[in-house]
Amino acid sequence: MAYRHFEFIEKHAWTLGILTAIMVSLGGLAEITPLFIEANKVQPAEGVKPYTPLRLAGRDIYVREGCYLCHSQMIRALRFETERYGHYSTASESVYDRPFQWGSKRTGPDLARVGGKYSDEWQRLHLMAPRDVVPQSNMPDYPWLALRLIDGKDIAARMRVLRLLGDPYTDADIKAAPKAVAGKTELDALIAYLQGLGIDNEPQQPVAAATTPAADGGAP
Amino acid sequence: MSGFWSWWVIVLIVFNLCVTFFLFLWGPRAKVPVLPDGTTGHVWAHGALREGMHRLPGWWIVISFAMFFSAFVYLTLYPGFGNHAGVLGWTSHAQLAQETASNEARLDAAFQRLDKYTVEQLAGDREALAMGEVLFRDNCAACHGRDARGNHLLGAPNLADNDWLYGGDGKAIETSILDGRHGVMPPWGPQFGEAGVENLANFVLSLSNAPHDAAKAIAGKALFTVCSACHGPEGKGNPALGAPNLTDTIWLYGGDLESVEASIRDGRGGTMPAWRVRLGNNDARVLAAYVYSLSHGDPTNTK
Repeated sequence: MAYRHFEFIEKHAWTLGILTAIMVSLGGLAEITPLFIEANKVQPAEGVKPYTPLRLAGRDIYVREGCYLCHSQMIRALRFETERYGHYSTASESVYDRPFQWGSKRTGPDLARVGGKYSDEWQRLHLMAPRDVVPQSNMPDYPWLALRLIDGKDIAARMRVLRLLGDPYTDADIKAAPKAVAGKTELDALIAYLQGLGIDNEPQQPVAAATTPAADGGAP
Repeated sequence: MSGFWSWWVIVLIVFNLCVTFFLFLWGPRAKVPVLPDGTTGHVWAHGALREGMHRLPGWWIVISFAMFFSAFVYLTLYPGFGNHAGVLGWTSHAQLAQETASNEARLDAAFQRLDKYTVEQLAGDREALAMGEVLFRDNCAACHGRDARGNHLLGAPNLADNDWLYGGDGKAIETSILDGRHGVMPPWGPQFGEAGVENLANFVLSLSNAPHDAAKAIAGKALFTVCSACHGPEGKGNPALGAPNLTDTIWLYGGDLESVEASIRDGRGGTMPAWRVRLGNNDARVLAAYVYSLSHGDPTNTK
């Protein structure tokens, strides 16, 4: 390559632009394409099932309210995270999340395994007014969630679309959806969604402990 | 990663390194035609700005070469070059497993010592309390508060006052943590009616000499027989059921007339989640010790 070739590239904006784009995209082609193409090979982990109608509604509210802007659902394979939140997240746990809610903005705690950590009542109070239970919190209030009811027909339609995309919902599942969410508020749905996060699908359950109720009726 | 994608990555890496390395070698040697005045002839702003000609500085060449060198070292040692695992065999999961194991070894050593003591004795142990405090802030403070003084909105009890729903010895605290608790007060509004609820609430307040309407309290006394099944005939509570003592000045959900009426009318359901799976026995023990220490004065002074 003589200087005149270099000069040609430098003086022709389209050539320069195209060659630059090729070089810049090499990293993405190497890192993103293989994972993107092989993603459809990921099988659901044991215990991971498609969302129930109520939890599906809650998941969509989670997305609508932008919870992912402050909360990740991605426990990284780092000791300070596994120590605090539990086993690291795996791709096979979020096969039914469209879009996935891994996130990377960690203003609030990671929610990948928050299910069951707090009582339903705590979740209700906390969503309505976080500072009522955690005075140091800077999370906004979400009082309007208690005002609106879930539309059952809408949820059934969403389940039909998800079935087109491959989620194994049966006709009976979809038919039962409007009844399952009847009379539930958006707040109920979001709490159901949160309380199920990570509960049924923790890989390699660390302790196969029997959560037997205490003699005085202790199980939550 | 399948064989095809491994080669895909390898080809892209080699292509990238070849192109950039060629430019790196060629750049300093390129013969750039220079005009007699020392500029390249490139002009901007109608000739006001002219492009001078300088060789690449030595420091830039050295640092660039160091970058290529470290790329080769990295791709040899660590995974990245297709399916090549790297000479070191490093993976993030193996590193996590190793760090977790070394931390557990440290904890095992600590717990070997701590296992010899009861929860009550651990409440005087600095190491146990330090661990317990961290665990408390991470897991318990959301309901009981950072200062452990509870939350009336949730019915989360104050843990620092030595008044206990399910018993306050080390064993009972440990059980509460491991298996959780679920206190159930049924709603009595439909059965007693609005007037009944108001009378009964006044009677309940009279048990602790709180301000109340004496006439209404007398009217509500008869209804209390229903309550005595759990709260006892004198309203002193029952730790086996987690039924609170109604004769003291400590209130789970607030002790004003309105709150007591609400408790009777709508019932209450306080839930303490079970922590056995999340925390495990060792963590629960030091946590119980920390909670115990909160209501037993200066922990380092206990016998």
